[in-house]
Amino acid sequence: MEKENMFVNERNTLTPTWSSSNFGMEIQTNELNCTSDQLTNHFFNPNWDNTVDQNDPFESALSSMVSSPVTSNASGDGIVLRELIGRLGSICNSGEISPPSYFAGNNSTNTSCYSTPLNSPPKLNLSMMDHQIGGNLQIPGNQFPNHPSLTPFCSDPGFVERAARFSCFGSRNFGVPSGQIGLNESEFPHKLMNSSNLSRLSRNQSFKVTASPMGAQENREGLLDGKISASDDKFSVFSRSSTPKNGELGDSREESSVSEQIPGGEIGSKTQNDASSRKRKSIPREKPKEISSSSAKNAKAGAENDESNSKRNKPEEGNGNEKEAEKSKADDNGTEKQSKDNQKPAEPPKDYIHVRARRGQATDSHSLAERVRREKISERMKFLQDLVPGCNKVTGKAVMLDEIINYVQSLQRQVEFLSMKLSTVNTRMDFNMEALLSKESHGSLPHSTDQFDSSSQALPYALQSHQGSNLHCAIPNGSENPFSLNPLNSTMHRNPGMQLPPINCFGEPTSQASTFWEDDLQSLVQMGFGQNQSNNLQGTTAITRMKVEL
Amino acid sequence: MMTSRQHLTTNPSSIKTRFAYLFLRNLKRLNKYRPTSSSSRAVYQRYGMIKFAADASMASAVGSRRAWSRATLLKIRNRALNCTFLKRRRIHALRRRRAERKSRNPRQECAFGQANELRRLVPGGEVMDICNLLDETAHYIKCLNTQVQVMRNIVDFYSS
Repeated sequence: MEKENMFVNERNTLTPTWSSSNFGMEIQTNELNCTSDQLTNHFFNPNWDNTVDQNDPFESALSSMVSSPVTSNASGDGIVLRELIGRLGSICNSGEISPPSYFAGNNSTNTSCYSTPLNSPPKLNLSMMDHQIGGNLQIPGNQFPNHPSLTPFCSDPGFVERAARFSCFGSRNFGVPSGQIGLNESEFPHKLMNSSNLSRLSRNQSFKVTASPMGAQENREGLLDGKISASDDKFSVFSRSSTPKNGELGDSREESSVSEQIPGGEIGSKTQNDASSRKRKSIPREKPKEISSSSAKNAKAGAENDESNSKRNKPEEGNGNEKEAEKSKADDNGTEKQSKDNQKPAEPPKDYIHVRARRGQATDSHSLAERVRREKISERMKFLQDLVPGCNKVTGKAVMLDEIINYVQSLQRQVEFLSMKLSTVNTRMDFNMEALLSKESHGSLPHSTDQFDSSSQALPYALQSHQGSNLHCAIPNGSENPFSLNPLNSTMHRNPGMQLPPINCFGEPTSQASTFWEDDLQSLVQMGFGQNQSNNLQGTTAITRMKVEL
Repeated sequence: MMTSRQHLTTNPSSIKTRFAYLFLRNLKRLNKYRPTSSSSRAVYQRYGMIKFAADASMASAVGSRRAWSRATLLKIRNRALNCTFLKRRRIHALRRRRAERKSRNPRQECAFGQANELRRLVPGGEVMDICNLLDETAHYIKCLNTQVQVMRNIVDFYSS
């Protein structure tokens, strides 16, 4: 986060100044440099175009991959850089693969090569360096104009580390005067200065550009300039065709940078990693060759150089050797590291992807609330499904609601029916309830033995209240209720059938009341329960009795 | 002995016990106005009173924890206030019905087709959103089940 903050700050501070003040200046200097260095001039002018057009496929790819969270470039920059330091081997390879592809004239392949590695700036950086090393030594005269500008990168051993640690890499480059750094670098940031995210891109582009001239120079050794120029022309065509995209992408980035979503940035980095890993997978086949070739180049360079070049190249070689050592490590551990690196970003994005998917659906609070509400409703519906019998097999909320409505209606009708029955029944309501109610009014429910003993009339009420209070007691009586699906029902039905003596069947299932009843009011309960059984469990008990009698 | 009685006395926290107790007490009160005549009108009146007693005892057994019980209690209170003036009550009921019709939210009506029907069934459901309505419906169904069970017990006992 600190890095990111730093980066953001630097972005905020640096970008406006660069974009405003240096924009015209840099181009002029570039032009001046180009005029002074004639050899490079040929390369640079088309290369600018190349950079432009190579940016475009890259950006288009990025835009497709990282559509919404383009700010990822800013935040994911450090991650990507860090990641890629360890994978220098593949980087160099990618850089070296490019020249033959140039050579073949497959612009599409070239662009694909470049566009994908653009995700990982250091790659290009290193490839550029290698190219430079090789190219400088072989054609010193041509390279010299390029050299001063590019050497800062090569000679700086901690450069890559710094780049990795500080995402202000790009800004640092920009902070250096334009004369030292590659002309392309100085130029492009100004063009694309919309956001500091682009600084990275510009870096990449500059590297690309530098790398491409190197490749071009290498090619030149064996080939004519005309071919190269033709290839360059092709690139320039590309660049022109794709330039409009730049502006759009810059805009989108600005928008995304306004939003500044870090998770999105991680996602973006992940996607970038994926892309790079995809690319890397294709690369390793050619690794060994290129390592050998690069080492050979380096050795050659060491032998052929002038003193000044050797001075320069010694550290460079040292760097190169170190890098090669890293390379070999990377080659050895390449797959592991890749897997690790891929896993590292891959873990958090799972959640973020989840969030992102949701975000795609609905970002505003209304739809979020709506989703929460829907979840709540479905939860309640599930609960109701358990409550309402015959609702388990039903699918669909509307049908379920119908079922619920029917059930509620039936229950209400049942209550009405029962109350009607109560009203019509010529009940023995004349039992003495005053005593009970007087005690009830004190807060104690009529479960004391005194009430039972007091009057025989009180018994039915007490029994009734018991049945009301005691679920086990109530269930057998509720056996007629078609809606009570309690499995206890069946057991209770069986019990009276199996054991006809009512006291047993009453006592056993209701163990709570059994002691109570058996202790005090065995006979009375027998009576009461006999009544109950005979009256209540009409159908079922009749059947069971029939069975027992049989 | 003691343990069982304690168990039974701690049981009253359940809605079933409380409802049974309250309903029986209400029935006992109703018995004071025992129908002298077995005419259909008297029986109908008695039926209305018993039904009212059942509703009231159920609502008071549940208490004011639930929206539907609160609505029922409110209705009972209103009815108790207007009980003595039958005419006025009818007028009041008419007014209330109209007010209910007006107060019904059109947005809620378009949410679910059947929800409105459910709103009519669940007391106090007119002013609930669908989420609360389902919640209340679940509890209401539970309570109705209990009510039906207890009343069935009572009916079975008395009809013996």
